[in-house]
Amino acid sequence: MHKSDHTFDDWVGQYQRLLFGIAYWWTGSRTDAEELTQEAFFQAYRSRSSLREIEAVKGWLVGILRHCYAQRCRKDHSRIEIPLDEVVEKSGETIDLRSDGADPHDILALRQALERLDERHRVPLVLFYFQELSYREIAEALELPLGTVMSRLSRARQLLHESLARPVALTFVKKIRKVN
Amino acid sequence: MNCDLCRSEMYAWRPGSDENSFQPLFDHLDSCAECARLFEQLTASDENVRRTFQSYPESPILESRILSGLAHQRAQAAVRRLGWRSWMLAPALASLLIVLFVLVAPRFQQARLNREMALLLSKPPALEINSTDRKQLLEWSASQLEGPPTLPAELDKLEFRGAAAISVAAHKAVLLKMKNEERASLVIVGAPLTQDNRFHSMREGPGSASLWSDGTRSYLLLFNGTDQELHAYMTKMGITA
Repeated sequence: MHKSDHTFDDWVGQYQRLLFGIAYWWTGSRTDAEELTQEAFFQAYRSRSSLREIEAVKGWLVGILRHCYAQRCRKDHSRIEIPLDEVVEKSGETIDLRSDGADPHDILALRQALERLDERHRVPLVLFYFQELSYREIAEALELPLGTVMSRLSRARQLLHESLARPVALTFVKKIRKVN
Repeated sequence: MNCDLCRSEMYAWRPGSDENSFQPLFDHLDSCAECARLFEQLTASDENVRRTFQSYPESPILESRILSGLAHQRAQAAVRRLGWRSWMLAPALASLLIVLFVLVAPRFQQARLNREMALLLSKPPALEINSTDRKQLLEWSASQLEGPPTLPAELDKLEFRGAAAISVAAHKAVLLKMKNEERASLVIVGAPLTQDNRFHSMREGPGSASLWSDGTRSYLLLFNGTDQELHAYMTKMGITA
């Protein structure tokens, strides 16, 4: 195996958990997040020559994940909302969440609030809270001007907190992806 | 700063932000209890959101799935590279083979002929026709080679005692055993064997030879002995080389 392949495999070990977490909060689905993370690493490997500085690998990988997510969003044609209890009862699906001291009610509320946001607000918001990236790092990862990121984040935080203030409805957004 | 602008600015602020930029916000918070209460709520809610974001599922098999997918990609890339190189090398290899065939093949053919002749000298094959009748033996040889039952004038005085069908360098041939000389044989090959009608070397085995050709057949006098002994035999039999 080539030396650069070893380095890339190290990056997989180092950053797969981070990318998976971001993808999870973007998509709201563990399965989708796993697929998205895999696809991002595969694309990153194919385009690894585009990485200019090794130190920037984290932002570079997040940027590729962002592209993969945008591609996936374009392919998603339809969504239907199914009550959460119905999903759990009918499919036997369980919500697999690490507790880490967080209240499951808060987790569900956050997922629902994120689902209500449109993509241009949800994407930087996850990077802001989950990874606690700086405005500049978010701007670089999303390839957006700094001012645009700041204004979007300000609006996104406002929408998020307003949404969280509402009572949680027991609904679960299930995505139906059309396979071409 | 009024309350509306203050509540908008709250969402732009984050811990670690430049204090000077947000001084008007903090000045307003100091003077407005309602906005200060909202800011406190927002800060607490923000902290709760940040903590909640750290609660997400585990995916224990994800890393191995990614690594195995990458290994598959690398294997496919290696196959593609190999295929591309093969196509690039094919013309070069073909050219090399042609050159080898043109330059080296005649030498290999010559060496093989010499080896076969040396083998014939050391181990003569069993005779298929055992006769002392010269005419009968030559007619039998002609039937094997599809040619006239005669010999070149130089070899006209030879007498035989038996003949066998053999193959020399994939050509039909007959081997005639000489009368009164156990060590001598005459091989008649149904083809001109070499470009200059000469065997360059018969030194691989214990023997010597002399060659004639009429353009369609080759006549090779083999002798299981030195060149001097062969010449002595030829002189004795009245053969002119």
